[in-house]
Amino acid sequence: MHKAYKISILIFALFTLLLLLSGYMIFELKIGFEAKNVLSYYMGDAKLFTPAKTNSGILKLSLPHIFAFALLAMVVLHFLIFTKFKYNFFVKVLIYGAFISTFFEIFTPFLIINVSELFIYLKIVSFFLYILLIPIVLSLLFVSITQIKL
Amino acid sequence: MKFTLVKDLRKDRVMKPILSGFLVFTLLYLLSDIFVKQSTFGIFPHAIETSLFGNEEEFLDGLSQASFLELWHVEIFFIMMIAFTTSTVYIRLSGASKTALLAVNIMLLTALLSLVTLALAYYLSPHFIYIYVSSFFIWHIVAFFCTLISLKRLHYA
Repeated sequence: MHKAYKISILIFALFTLLLLLSGYMIFELKIGFEAKNVLSYYMGDAKLFTPAKTNSGILKLSLPHIFAFALLAMVVLHFLIFTKFKYNFFVKVLIYGAFISTFFEIFTPFLIINVSELFIYLKIVSFFLYILLIPIVLSLLFVSITQIKL
Repeated sequence: MKFTLVKDLRKDRVMKPILSGFLVFTLLYLLSDIFVKQSTFGIFPHAIETSLFGNEEEFLDGLSQASFLELWHVEIFFIMMIAFTTSTVYIRLSGASKTALLAVNIMLLTALLSLVTLALAYYLSPHFIYIYVSSFFIWHIVAFFCTLISLKRLHYA
């Protein structure tokens, strides 16, 4: 990989971390990480005068995220092709893990309001899994670009 | 990205119009971004400070934390995609010269700085607005010229 691209990718990694940080802050502020917070956010809370979320409301919020999550995952993950970890089994796990956690992160709200409140746990787990997997990919890129021996 | 694999982009009859279209739209985005910001959020320190914190004399409310975070989140996503794709095309078309590297690094780092200082201005001190404004204009100007030069190299070099 050309040196110029390496620098761009490193800066892109910083942007990605900033995006994850802002996503984390929004989740913490608007929903909260405890199960009861997630439940009251989606199912409504009479004490807090917050209405339950509707399918159309969730879809409205999900729509840009379906594209954005996938694009971000694709761009970040495709850099792995240029690394020495390309054919590593762990990379395959990362790729599938990132897309599966993305899927559940986006679509579990529908399951929470339509199927069972138990899906709040899947929502929290998938969110943290995504927040965890992307930095792992970025650290592999960093190791590969800076030629640090593991 | 396919265009990083094609040997000579200027002679490729498929990639040339695709990249030209992308670059023209990037120019339009960069210009529109400035106009939209000017009419909504502000592009100069006083206007930005009013948008962020409100103004009691004019009975204007500031941005709530939730609104600010949503704005910041969307900005990060758009800027990272625009700055990264623009820099990749520019590096590819300029043969990764030292000048190109410098321009790209300035663009990416000032874009990153603008995002960080925007958050610092909201959470820490309004003084960071001045750094935000400077870095906002620097990255827009550098990105604009990188895009223009890329278009020129694609068609006239």
